[in-house]
Amino acid sequence: MSRRVAVTGIGVVAPGGTGVTRFWDLLSHGRTATRRISLFDPAGLRSQIAAECDFDPAAHGLDPTTVERCDRYVQFALVAAREAVQHAGLDMAREDPWRTGVSLGTAVGGTTRLEQDYVLVSERGARWDVDARKAGPALERAFSPSTLASAVAEEFGAHGPVQTVSTGCTSGLDAVGYAHQAVADGRVDVCIAGASDSPISPITMACFDAIKATSPNNDDPAHASRPFDAHRDGFVMGEGAAVLVLEELEHARARGARILCEVAGYATFGNAHHMTGLTKDGLEMARAIETALDEARLDPTVIDYVNAHGSGTKQNDRHETAAVKRALGQHAYATPMSSIKSMVGHSLGAIGSIELVACVLALTHQVVPPTANYETPDPECDLDYVPREARERRLRGVLSVGSGFGGFQSAVVLTGPERKA
Amino acid sequence: MSGREPRRAVVTGIGAVTPHGIGTEVFWKTTVSGGSSLAALDRGGCEGYALRVAGQVRGFDPAALVEETFLVQTDRFTHFAMAAARLALEDALLADADFDSPYSVGVVTAAGSGGGEFGQRELQNLWGQGSKYVGPYQSIAWFYAASTGQISIRHGFKGPCGVVASDEAGGLDALAQAARTVRHGTDTVVVGAAEAPLAPYSIVCQLGYPELSRATRPDRAYLPFTDEACGFTPAEGGAVLVLEEERAARARGAEVRATVAGHGATFTGASRWAESRDGLAHAIDIALREADCRPEDVDVVYADALGVPEADRAEAGALSDALGPHARRVPVTAPKTGTGRAYCAAPVLDVTAAVLGLQHGLIPPTPHVTDPRHDLDLVTGSARAVEARTALVLSRGLMGCNAALVLRKGGAQGPHQ
Amino acid sequence: MTDQVSYEVTLEDLAALMKRTAGVSVDPDQFARQADAGFDTFGLDSLGLLGIVAELEKRYGLSMPPDAERCKSPAEFLALINSALTTGV
Repeated sequence: MSRRVAVTGIGVVAPGGTGVTRFWDLLSHGRTATRRISLFDPAGLRSQIAAECDFDPAAHGLDPTTVERCDRYVQFALVAAREAVQHAGLDMAREDPWRTGVSLGTAVGGTTRLEQDYVLVSERGARWDVDARKAGPALERAFSPSTLASAVAEEFGAHGPVQTVSTGCTSGLDAVGYAHQAVADGRVDVCIAGASDSPISPITMACFDAIKATSPNNDDPAHASRPFDAHRDGFVMGEGAAVLVLEELEHARARGARILCEVAGYATFGNAHHMTGLTKDGLEMARAIETALDEARLDPTVIDYVNAHGSGTKQNDRHETAAVKRALGQHAYATPMSSIKSMVGHSLGAIGSIELVACVLALTHQVVPPTANYETPDPECDLDYVPREARERRLRGVLSVGSGFGGFQSAVVLTGPERKA
Repeated sequence: MSGREPRRAVVTGIGAVTPHGIGTEVFWKTTVSGGSSLAALDRGGCEGYALRVAGQVRGFDPAALVEETFLVQTDRFTHFAMAAARLALEDALLADADFDSPYSVGVVTAAGSGGGEFGQRELQNLWGQGSKYVGPYQSIAWFYAASTGQISIRHGFKGPCGVVASDEAGGLDALAQAARTVRHGTDTVVVGAAEAPLAPYSIVCQLGYPELSRATRPDRAYLPFTDEACGFTPAEGGAVLVLEEERAARARGAEVRATVAGHGATFTGASRWAESRDGLAHAIDIALREADCRPEDVDVVYADALGVPEADRAEAGALSDALGPHARRVPVTAPKTGTGRAYCAAPVLDVTAAVLGLQHGLIPPTPHVTDPRHDLDLVTGSARAVEARTALVLSRGLMGCNAALVLRKGGAQGPHQ
Repeated sequence: MTDQVSYEVTLEDLAALMKRTAGVSVDPDQFARQADAGFDTFGLDSLGLLGIVAELEKRYGLSMPPDAERCKSPAEFLALINSALTTGV
């Protein structure tokens, strides 16, 4: 009774260039988009580097009213969604708006704007009883994370279920996972799914400084994000958005849409261990992978590429390697596993969706994107991480995994468009 | 019925931390007696704003309800959620339960504002003193997922975890997600919402909502469906429910209070209240269909009751559109005029009241409201004794989401069949 | 760096810091007796230890050695911290 779920369109705003073409160009050439922070003066921070988007809202067709009403992360999402809907050839005038949903993830929502206005109303932190008169317009929209899905739903006239998902750094996988469930269950026929975050602001950088999760390699930003490498020293903050158009397979076929791939399985579990700490054995992530494969009715050996969370922290990469080996067994050693965070940084809630778009592109091009900056093997990370250069390969099933604060572990399985029922 | 019986999600435990007090009992007693806890907003630093009245949770001693470490490490909204979760698990007789597998228990919360007070303190540290003064717990206290994570960790629940960061209607969406998770194979899901939006900067952010009531008298601040309607009064607090697969619940001898039978969610645009009529009516249709209910089966409606004339009109219209002539007969209530709207937690408190109302055969009244103007049978004054079997809970959010949830008394083998 | 003795961080100081920065209360006697036990025995997590290191760095205006936040026990931590403070690393 579960319906099949197709991906028919993708869109992305990522560091290194807006749009799917430039994004894939960056990934397939193994270039990095990490640099010294320019969005504000990072002097004094432990980590002063990030992967930033050179994003001009006007150039992407956003009018001044939208720009004023929408925080940077909402602007990213609008631009990525437009690209995805256009790519899908979806004519909203021909769709049933009540059967069209939106599911978007974000980890920190409107923090950037909230912080900017906080500085004004508090007179740079001088007062607790902040001055309401100094607040800018539409601040309430930054306060409410549901602005994200709401703005995108309004843009496309969707009247179905509209949801903002916020499971920290797995938001981008979970938002697509929920959309997949909504389409599979028959609650919607089309779902605009994805995630967005623009966390490069002093408070977010400072809070990751405080737990030393981000890389302090300020002298060499381009090579600072080093997932799985023995010399990795933390993640590099990123920003961006990605959107996928999910559609019931028959619905997509009926309108003659191009099927890019299918979302075949999804699962998420908590590790119930620690808000930031990970277990050594990767048991919960392994279970998410196994459950997603079960739902997809796929044997692990059909997975030809693992898109890693690969944040580049010591514990994450070890944990994830253990989890993937536990779930895929010997097949893990024969399967390339790479982290695009080496190139576009870690955009918190957004990255899960950005990585799914990378997976769709990998399937489309039958090319595995590399792990940039990978030089020195770590004995505890002993899989094939696709060092520095993209690789052509026959890809049938692709697995993307994520891990987030709160202990969340999620997995999404995509399969190529030629898969039989 | 052919093949296996479908899995149903039933309510077996409830925990509430609300402006009415700490615990489900005081919430129900106050609610059913039509009591109100709206009062002048007097939390430190929050007094000088155009928001004068709120539903504050008073007498909440987090140290008594959650471990001391959490006072430093998490925000008030998570304190509420953790306390409510503990109360719900105790109520379900699961507080010290030995679950077959940690993966058989999931956690879903809805959060519309995050750890605002904690975040403001850390922003003050950052901008007042410097980045080195931001503490290590900001990274896990402010964000919307904090409550789900902390509940999962505290109780060792490794099942599917979710966080809906939507507007008010997200509270019902979270319940629906939990119910689906149960139907898809997880035996138990701890689900709910708690909010703590009454910190200075959070209030300044909310002042941008045109729907916010700026009235100064607690008894005149939140009067939906009346000529005096002047917006909504915000609140803090929340509720958590334990949803279980019905057979598993019965097998362990749990009391099956109600079934989460149907849910519908739609979107009609932020602050487009006239359009919400159509959206809400669609959501009700979908929820009733999923619950296999006819409009005339609905015995009571817990209204969204925003308190904005255009929105109230739209809600009355939606009921009329979805329920037909039955809309004029069915009792409608809005006990949230006595607590205020705790954003995502608001509809979860309504679900709490609805479940307890079904159990007790009572419909609580709508505090403060005396002269409703719409063609609705609004329950005012005192509670009404009605042997209701089916409750419909409605919610709309400031960002444009509409949701409807259908609850049935007991379970499939319960009194309604 | 003239009065190095004043840089000595004691078990009591550490207990006070644990209370203030992580909300962790310890029984002073037990803390003194079990100074070699893991921080987790007392309920202090890795984030809490990071917070304490940051507090000490602010208090003394010095960077603590990177191993400080990886110390397993109060005794190990104090030995490392105090050695860093007296040598001014």
